Amino acid sequence: MKSAPFLYHRPTSLGEALDLLAEHGDEAKVLAGGQSLIPLMAMRLAQPAVLVDIGRIPELRRREGLTVGATVTNAELEGEGGGLPPVIAAALPHIGHFQIRNRGTLGGSLAHLDPAGEWPALALLLQVRLTLVSRRGGERQLAVEEFMRGPLQPAIEPDELLTAITFPADQPAGSPFGFAEVARRPGDFALAGAACILRGGQPRVVVFATGGLPQLVEAGRPIEATGDLHASAAYRRATSVDLVARVLAQAGAGATA
Amino acid sequence: MIRVNGGDHEVTVEPRVTLADFLRDHLRLTGTHLGCEHGVCGACTVLLDGQAVRACLVFAVQADGQEVTTVEGMALSGLPTPLQEAFRRHQAYQCGFCTPGFLATGEALLRSGRPLTRQNLPQLLAGNICRCTGYSRIIRAILEVAGSR
Repeated sequence: MKSAPFLYHRPTSLGEALDLLAEHGDEAKVLAGGQSLIPLMAMRLAQPAVLVDIGRIPELRRREGLTVGATVTNAELEGEGGGLPPVIAAALPHIGHFQIRNRGTLGGSLAHLDPAGEWPALALLLQVRLTLVSRRGGERQLAVEEFMRGPLQPAIEPDELLTAITFPADQPAGSPFGFAEVARRPGDFALAGAACILRGGQPRVVVFATGGLPQLVEAGRPIEATGDLHASAAYRRATSVDLVARVLAQAGAGATA
Repeated sequence: MIRVNGGDHEVTVEPRVTLADFLRDHLRLTGTHLGCEHGVCGACTVLLDGQAVRACLVFAVQADGQEVTTVEGMALSGLPTPLQEAFRRHQAYQCGFCTPGFLATGEALLRSGRPLTRQNLPQLLAGNICRCTGYSRIIRAILEVAGSR
């Protein structure tokens, strides 16, 4: 349970971080809060030759209205998440344990893109926009559907950095929402989860932790689930269906979807 | 440079050394225990700049310039802290392996100023595993200190 050796860089500006990523590209991994990457490295499922620690870059820790810097931590959003869509406040306590939330970041979770993660589900639910920056390509913005190429596969080029996430303006305080998940122990990885908002009066529902990427729930389209060591596909599907009913009820939308 | 329990240390370590291994192997502060080494069990919880974190999920180099409090630093006066005293009185440990982590988590919760109740503590303590006590004694000990503040 010890990481393989790596070279460590801790840039203190965005420009310096981009230079390092341009130089090391494929060899480098970005370290944000480390709450997903460090366990993977401990188990040697990840063995990056170079780590670029972006934990001390002031540009990435800013929040301007609905645009949140990538290394803002989950604990900070729990404390100062006011103005963001209210479904986020309901989901945050489910993200790991509070000790994990003290380190884990918004951008780190999205760049990791774990199927059981709450942030990828919220990102799809809310249709966030993601800002990516590189020396080669400058700045570009991606819709969440473009960003999520597959489980653990974000559309981030090797020399690119996810710098900020922009939340939609149509979910002010007081907007109806629902959020529910099932885990073995509070804070553990979800075995199934669902989240819901109302958009234009219509419920928009996402299920997650079903094996693959979070899925938009649509009439006539069955929920896809895969089984693993922790839960069978049948359990995940059945639980997801229950959770969808629950989050719709929470949002006051009834069982319409 | 890293400040641990009030003392400054300047040590050169490989970047891959976790804060937990740094504390145990380099500073010989073996009160910080390592259970799972991937962030699940909570045994290695310490305070980093006052926040409870998993010392196995932080590389020591990331804590450069920061301040760490381990179980060894909690009773610097030589007397147990109120939380340690409450753990003793309620017998909130048996084998003691998880205790340093629970003390760090408990200190962070007590310092946070958030209301602590019989209802919310099980959830707040979910990040620390104890295989001996069944948790109720730990909850009682923390509630007693919370109630006396």
